[in-house]
Amino acid sequence: MLSKRFLRPVFRTPVFVLAVALSLSKPAGATGLEEDAADFIRSLSQDAIESLTRKETAREARIGKFRDLFNKHFAVKSIGRFVLGRNWRKATKDERAEYLKLFEDLMVVSYVDRFKRYAGDNLEIAKTRAENETTVTVFSLLPRDAGKPVNILWRVGVLKKSGGVVMKILDVVVEGASMSQTLRSDFGSIIRQRDGKVSGLIEELRLKTAALKNPDKAETSKN
Amino acid sequence: MRKIFRLFPRFRVGLFVPAAALVIALFSGAGCAVVPPASDPEAFAEFREVNDPAEPLNRAIFEFNRGLDTAFLKPVAKAYRDILPPFVQDRFKHALANLRSPIIFINDLLQGELDRAIATLVRFMINSTWGLLGLNDLATDMGMEGHDEDFGQTLAVWGAGEGPYLMLPLFGPSNPRDTIGLVVDYLINPFNLWAANTDRDFAVFARTGTRAVDMRATHMEALDDLEKSSLDFYASIRSLYRQRRLGEVSNGDPSANSPAPGLSQAPRQ
Repeated sequence: MLSKRFLRPVFRTPVFVLAVALSLSKPAGATGLEEDAADFIRSLSQDAIESLTRKETAREARIGKFRDLFNKHFAVKSIGRFVLGRNWRKATKDERAEYLKLFEDLMVVSYVDRFKRYAGDNLEIAKTRAENETTVTVFSLLPRDAGKPVNILWRVGVLKKSGGVVMKILDVVVEGASMSQTLRSDFGSIIRQRDGKVSGLIEELRLKTAALKNPDKAETSKN
Repeated sequence: MRKIFRLFPRFRVGLFVPAAALVIALFSGAGCAVVPPASDPEAFAEFREVNDPAEPLNRAIFEFNRGLDTAFLKPVAKAYRDILPPFVQDRFKHALANLRSPIIFINDLLQGELDRAIATLVRFMINSTWGLLGLNDLATDMGMEGHDEDFGQTLAVWGAGEGPYLMLPLFGPSNPRDTIGLVVDYLINPFNLWAANTDRDFAVFARTGTRAVDMRATHMEALDDLEKSSLDFYASIRSLYRQRRLGEVSNGDPSANSPAPGLSQAPRQ
């Protein structure tokens, strides 16, 4: 990307524009799978903007909608398991079930309010890269009021089933910081402080999600 | 030594930061984290992965920094973000980025990235002249986007490891490598040398202060969100800092090999 710096002016010439227009039907280099992944992210972001950014929708309803989107398009169990790391094996069956439920809750209630800010901003897909047969990275940019747009990477997992291809988001990387890795450090630190017990993490998660569900009681940042 | 002081008038001040870091390192003996026993290899591996032997002391400094942030930096950054029109904020951002160009150029060269060095130089020349002293980023409009570099990244490119996590007072998350980088950048920055040689110390403070406010404002929402949703804010920041530095060292080309959830990990149903 960066070594092409000097080629950038070329991108603005009429010849280039013509060439792009001619080749637009089939972007060079991108395989069918990568295009599908890009389309998947594009339609997901439109869905999210349509259903989550309306100011008049009550927060409860937005939470419900986001929960549906999250469960449908994110590999919630895989992410939750990765985030727990080696502690997953230590957890009992009941603990795993409650942890996954609370993990979903935490993601939904902490991310739902972030979409309010993105009203009107369209996610721009910059490029795609197939990491292996089952993972595609979609590189995207989100514009901001001031300064450079935010770099967002989506790791999309592709699952081939008899009925076709199912795509799920495995990780979101914002400006170089992976959501799942940050959560893994966060949760891991709590478990260490609680003498290595998953039940300690579950207690903290209960408190946190309860506070986030009632933003009136908890501290909320005004934007 | 006197000659060095004359050549680099800021050297005296610059010596203070590594000296302070050394004192912290020495005192951190008192604030050491408990090392897990060798009988628990997984816990020991985790301890090494977390790589924060001075965690209790680092946490104390983190709380100190948060106190300062709440009292001073955050309110100023909030006012900067909410009161100044985005157009004016962009002028600040461009001017600050332009003032960093010389140090980016030097580090590009030290890293052997000749085409990036030339790009930085051309950007600096365009933006400082036609861009009206850097207030406008014409180079980006012409298709030459900027990038950032620092001596910590140069050391990483040269093969230096990051070392244990370190929370610096005022300066925030760091490690020994990036602390040295911070000091070296400060000492060799032509802007600082110019300011020191012409008795314009206020210029250095003004620039550093403005940069801190601008950066704080840029990351305001992300930090607020993280603080709100994380169970252990300190651990989240530590992870975030390492990941971002890794991304910066690799010049934003993320590796596909970094650990991430995979669909194959899905629990059987």
